[in-house]
Order: sequence, then structure tokens, then C-alpha cells
Amino acid sequence: MSVVERIGPDQVPLLARRYFAAGDPGPIVGALAQVPELLVVAVPLLGAALGPSAIDWRTKEIVIVRTSALAGCRYCVQAHTVVALDAGLSRQEVVALRAEGSAAEVFDSPREVALLGWIEEVAGGGPIDDASRVVMGRHWADHEIVELTMVIGVTLMLNRFATALALPTSPDTLDRLAAEGLL
Amino acid sequence: MSIGAAVAHGRLPGRVWMYSNYHCNLACTYCLTESAPAVARRELPPTAMIEIGRQARDLGFTDLGVTGGETFLMPAMPELLAELATILPVVALTNGTLFNHRLLARVEPLAGLPVALQISLDHPDPETNDEMRAPRNFRKVATAVPELVRRGVTVRIATTVESLDKTTLERLCTLHRGWGVPDCDHVIRPIVRRGRAATYGLGVRAGQPELPAELTITAEGAFWSPFAPTVRDGKPDTDLLITRTTRPLSVPAHALLRLIEARPPGEDSTLNIR
Repeated sequence: MSVVERIGPDQVPLLARRYFAAGDPGPIVGALAQVPELLVVAVPLLGAALGPSAIDWRTKEIVIVRTSALAGCRYCVQAHTVVALDAGLSRQEVVALRAEGSAAEVFDSPREVALLGWIEEVAGGGPIDDASRVVMGRHWADHEIVELTMVIGVTLMLNRFATALALPTSPDTLDRLAAEGLL
Repeated sequence: MSIGAAVAHGRLPGRVWMYSNYHCNLACTYCLTESAPAVARRELPPTAMIEIGRQARDLGFTDLGVTGGETFLMPAMPELLAELATILPVVALTNGTLFNHRLLARVEPLAGLPVALQISLDHPDPETNDEMRAPRNFRKVATAVPELVRRGVTVRIATTVESLDKTTLERLCTLHRGWGVPDCDHVIRPIVRRGRAATYGLGVRAGQPELPAELTITAEGAFWSPFAPTVRDGKPDTDLLITRTTRPLSVPAHALLRLIEARPPGEDSTLNIR
């Protein structure tokens, strides 16, 4: 059960109204609307980090699903399982990213294998091994490493936010997960 | 545009309102904040109010307003108003029912300071007035106002009504003139359909376009207008919330100014409520 009440459509604060103009913006924006001055700076950051950018969609979803699985975020794993499938990842790849299968057996691209190792290191919370930096540097450009690391960091922030507030997965997402056998 | 320039050019009203508290000794039928004796107090500490007053002055605001709840249920209100008056001119809203001899003595030092006490009186007939407010409200106000005026304290009368016919208005004005309150210190405003007024279906609907954008600070955030931080069914409304941050005051002040500047030309407040 979520600890914060969702803001109803008639109670949307002034600075938050544009995010509700097209309808329910989802639980993350809905919760952030409680503090409008945070919402208006958080949404552009989240959009820049997690939305379309120089990093392709498939790669971004690999980062988000794997990071969320490592952080144990039910909401983010469920929401981005659907997005990852839409981004073209196979069911087998998504299952592996969700830590329900072996990533090593599913991903064979050296770039993606290096990235999965980097996610483990960065999301793990401890010191980062120099060897991991060397492997990443071999397969990814500096600006890509910076952006991918930022995506991991922003995902971790949302993982903790969604888990702490027990944000509910949307019924549409749950229906899709059930249909895919991934609930 | 700076806040000071926006105030100077009339883009932003010059007064900053502060809700000192939400509890009240009365429970008026049209109360925006569902105030009553046992409700959540939502107090702004006096130290916070003084800090907000100083920041308001430094930003370029020109006036302060204190409202509630019943403001004089806050123990330090007379001294707080005197302190705020050293920063900017102040108007404080009160129901005028708590002015016994002791409190009258404590507000007497406000005489000569830029402080006005705005006291509610809705009807010249005691029964009609008290029906909306509380038993003996009329008598208490009729006693307090002349006593305050006699001590040199500036008093304004605020009449909150759905409608007022000419004869009744004239009787009301005769009354306040007799107490020493001139017509220029008598404000008449509509009941706004928020809070308890909405529960009872009273008053006019008022949202962002209808309400003047007067920065209003409460314990729970900064709002668009003093008519905005209302309470319905015990829950604070957030539809006219600007920011949860109230200090530094520049944060909500600039957010309010951005909201004003984002409005299409001509979309100004229509109720002209003060």
C-alpha cells in the first residue's frame, strides 16, 4: 500500500498542471506533484536521462531493467519489462535482465556484456574495480560511459523512490505482463 | 523581472499573506479553512513570520497580511504585529471576539504603528450576523471596535456576504461610522465557495483566474492567494499550491511571478477580492 495519497485531478498544484494536462501522468509524477518545485526540476532530468538520447532505446532498457532488478524495485522492473519488450528485447533477454535467468548465456555482444558488468559494479554500491573501467573503455566512448552511468544512477534513485513509496503498477502494465507470462 | 520591479509595475500585488494558525474560537458557516476550536492548528511560529516579513521587504514587497484561523488565539500576536510593523505595514484579520480588557491593553501599543486590525461583521442585525458566525458575535464586535478605535488602533471592517441590499448596506455603514471606522476602511467581499462554504454550497466559485495572485504562506507551503490554502473535509486543498518551500521566500515569490507571466494577456483576477 502506498504511503502517500495520489493527488486527485481537482487538486493538482499550479506548477504541476501541465504534467496532468493529457491525463494521469503515472505514479512517479503523481507522487512528485506533492512537492511541485521538485517536480518541475525532476521531470526534465528524468526525461533527459531515461528518454530518447544518443544512447539507443534497447541499450537504455537493458540498463534500466537490470539496475532495477539488482535494486529489487518491483514497480520499475514491472513497468520497464513492458518497455523493454517494446524496445525490441526478446522475452529471454528480459527474463535474464530481471535476474530470473543467466545473462551470460543470453547476451553475447561484447559491448552489452561489458555494459552488464558495469551495471553490476555501479549498482552494487561498493568500490568500482579498475578492470571494469578498462573493459567499459574498450567498448564504449567516454560520453557514452558518462551517460550510461547517469542512467544507472537516475534509475537507482527512482528504484528507491518507487520502492519506499510502494508505487502501484498500472493495471495496463499488469495485464500486459500477465499476457506475456512475466507477472 | 525582479520581484521588486514586478511589484512596482503592478504585475505582482505587494502584499505577502501569512496564515498564523488555522484554529478558531468560532466555526463560521462560510469559513474557507473549516476553522473551529479543535481542528489541526497548522501554526506558523512567530520567528518564521518575522523572517518571512524581512525577506518580503528585502525582495521588494510592500505590505504584510496576517490571517487564520483566529489570529489572536496565537499568544504572542500583539507583540508579533508590533514587530512586523517595524518591517512593513501590516493588516491582521480577526473575528474581534477576544478583546477583553487584558488583550485591549496588549494591543494598545499598536496605536500609531502601521497596523490595521480587520474585523469581520457581516450584517447590521445581530441575529442575522450571528446566525452565520456565532452566538453573541455581534455584541462582542460592537463592543471591541469602539474600544480599539478609542485606543487609537486602526480598525477595518470586513463584510463577507452572498449579497447585500442597499438599505442593509447603509445600516451597516451607519454602524461602523458610529464606531469611528470610515467608509474607506470598510471592505465588502463575496463568500468564496471553498472549504466549509463549498460543503454548504455557499458563495461564488473561485479558482486561479478569479483570485488575485497574492503570495500566501502557510505552515504547509506557499499558495496563489489568501483564498487558496483552504481545507475541505479536514484535508488541505493543493489545487492552488505553488511550492512547499516557503523560505527563502524568493523561491515561491519567483514561482508565483513565473505563473503570472505565463498567463495570457487579459486573464486577470475577476473577483477583485481583498
